Amino acid sequence: MDFTLPETALAVQRGIADVCSRYDMGYWERCEAEKRWPDEVWADLAKGGWLGLGVPEEYGGGGQGLLEMAVATETLAASGSAGGSAFTYVLTPGFGALTLSRHGTPEQKGTLLPRLATGELETCFALTEPDAGSNSLAISTFARQDGAEYVVNGQKIWITGVQRATWMMLVTRTIPAEEAKPRTNGMTVFLVNVPEAVEKGQLSYRPIPKMGANTTPSNMVFFDDLRVPAANVVGEVHGGAVVLWDILNPERILLGASALGGAEVALRVGVEYARQREVFGRPIGANQAIAFPLAQVQAKIELARLMLYKAAWLFDQGLPCGTESNIAKLTASQAAWEAADAAFQTHGGMAYSLEYPVARLLTDARIGKIAPVTEELLLNYVATQVLGLPRSF
Amino acid sequence: MNIVVCVKQVPDTATERKLRSDDKTLDRDAVDGVINELDEYAVEEALRLKEAHGGEVTVLTMGPAKAADTIRKALAMGADKAVHLVDDALAGSDALSTSYALAQALGRVGFDVVVLGSESTDARTGVLAAMLAERLGVPQLSQARKVEVNGSAVTIERVTDYGYDRVEASLPAVVSVVEKINEPRYPSFKGIMAAKKKPVETLGAADLEADAGQLGLAGAWSEVVDFAVAPPRAAGTVVKDEGDGGAKAAEFLASKKFI
Repeated sequence: MDFTLPETALAVQRGIADVCSRYDMGYWERCEAEKRWPDEVWADLAKGGWLGLGVPEEYGGGGQGLLEMAVATETLAASGSAGGSAFTYVLTPGFGALTLSRHGTPEQKGTLLPRLATGELETCFALTEPDAGSNSLAISTFARQDGAEYVVNGQKIWITGVQRATWMMLVTRTIPAEEAKPRTNGMTVFLVNVPEAVEKGQLSYRPIPKMGANTTPSNMVFFDDLRVPAANVVGEVHGGAVVLWDILNPERILLGASALGGAEVALRVGVEYARQREVFGRPIGANQAIAFPLAQVQAKIELARLMLYKAAWLFDQGLPCGTESNIAKLTASQAAWEAADAAFQTHGGMAYSLEYPVARLLTDARIGKIAPVTEELLLNYVATQVLGLPRSF
Repeated sequence: MNIVVCVKQVPDTATERKLRSDDKTLDRDAVDGVINELDEYAVEEALRLKEAHGGEVTVLTMGPAKAADTIRKALAMGADKAVHLVDDALAGSDALSTSYALAQALGRVGFDVVVLGSESTDARTGVLAAMLAERLGVPQLSQARKVEVNGSAVTIERVTDYGYDRVEASLPAVVSVVEKINEPRYPSFKGIMAAKKKPVETLGAADLEADAGQLGLAGAWSEVVDFAVAPPRAAGTVVKDEGDGGAKAAEFLASKKFI
């Protein structure tokens, strides 16, 4: 068994760290406070070809897999962007580029992938609905065929990055959930041109005020007789579930990677403070009550990283990775939360001051336990799918 | 055009740097090495010269085995090949012996223009470019914030206290650059992967056809006799303004011979 990272992943680690070394913690704090996209980092990532890592070389990308993308996301988050801000790497390189690389038609790939690789075009992903959160198969946004077009009506919630996206990966029902047999049948994924649809009044959105991760707004989205050409179907009509799994598994892995990087930066901040802060004549890190929680977090980070890289590797090999993706996401998010909490506790009273970075790291880390899927649903997956326990629903 | 860019691996300025107690040289093993910041600008300028005039960029470095990381970074940015001067006999070189070793290597490699950062963040002598030019018998153009090559002539804008001088010389020449000159590029993914396959020639002291007595610690003209940790900063003097603040501040400055 060989645990060394491939040279490509090491190159990603080094290259992304190089880009991020010019952006300190204060930069990410300002982006969050000003609720703005990290334009400068985005431009630098684009220039170095880092956004197109997962795009095949023939379309101008780096031809790499999910492992390299996970390492990129982790490194970006660990540099200080933390969990929330690493979304910048998931929306377009993940949802858009990776999905189209696997499931796009030759035309979709030819027109979109080269421009997704350079960051010139951006994407977002619309699945969640107010009445169908984690129960993805129960969505009701419906696409009705009308000649060479589909007409979509419905609404989505928690759709992140609509403001910047030229293209939305929209998941719809083309057979209502109650009539579909099996239930996974009758889902269809569309590419929707967002600015065009907004212009025509067929798509509108409203940002949701959030407690963190404000570098990327999340929205309610409404579709009102939205017309989409049939050529914009990604994958097969009614066969969208296949595409969906190839979005959801990478999403778990990439957001797991961003949680992992968030854990790393929180631990670093906590350890640094424990080393420097002196009370009763010695650094507080000399007290085991402070040191052990930090050491415990280090152990959890190492474990989560192993699981995460394994899940990404399985995905890249084309092997089933559902269980591993879910466990990786679960453990990485828990590591992130525990790291941020330990760093917070280490800071004592100062933790509550916004002049220290821990408050943002804590807020950022909390999201991993509820998004893109709750911890409970991940545990439920393990309970029913791995342990074979009876379903509660 | 044959462009050579000299780079140096220096201790990361963010980490604590130490001198060795035995030979009082920098303890390079104890710290993370990074490319000297100004040399990144030199690499960028070398690449821009190549992009404008064609030719080849060769990276030249002298340093221990781990300086190979610094070479890889320059190659990842886009340089074509590298020469790594590595030998225990070169350890402990001062500016004079370093310039001797590099000049010998440059004689072997050949060059139209040598580009380097105007100083390193570790020793900060800032004299290497001048020494190198003298040893090579070519013009030195220092502190460049802009470089232009026109045929066999090179023109720079040399930063001064009051603005800049235009300085022109014929090629071959040595050019040292300051951080105002450009914005160094990041290595791209493809650049990092390609760098692994680029040729790096390793040279030892014996390859330099040099006078061994002028190399390394033995050949150094300067010697560190002793060193001590800088004392912590003493409390400052507070001048309270009671109508005579200006006079008091002036008196203080005069007593320290600042004015």
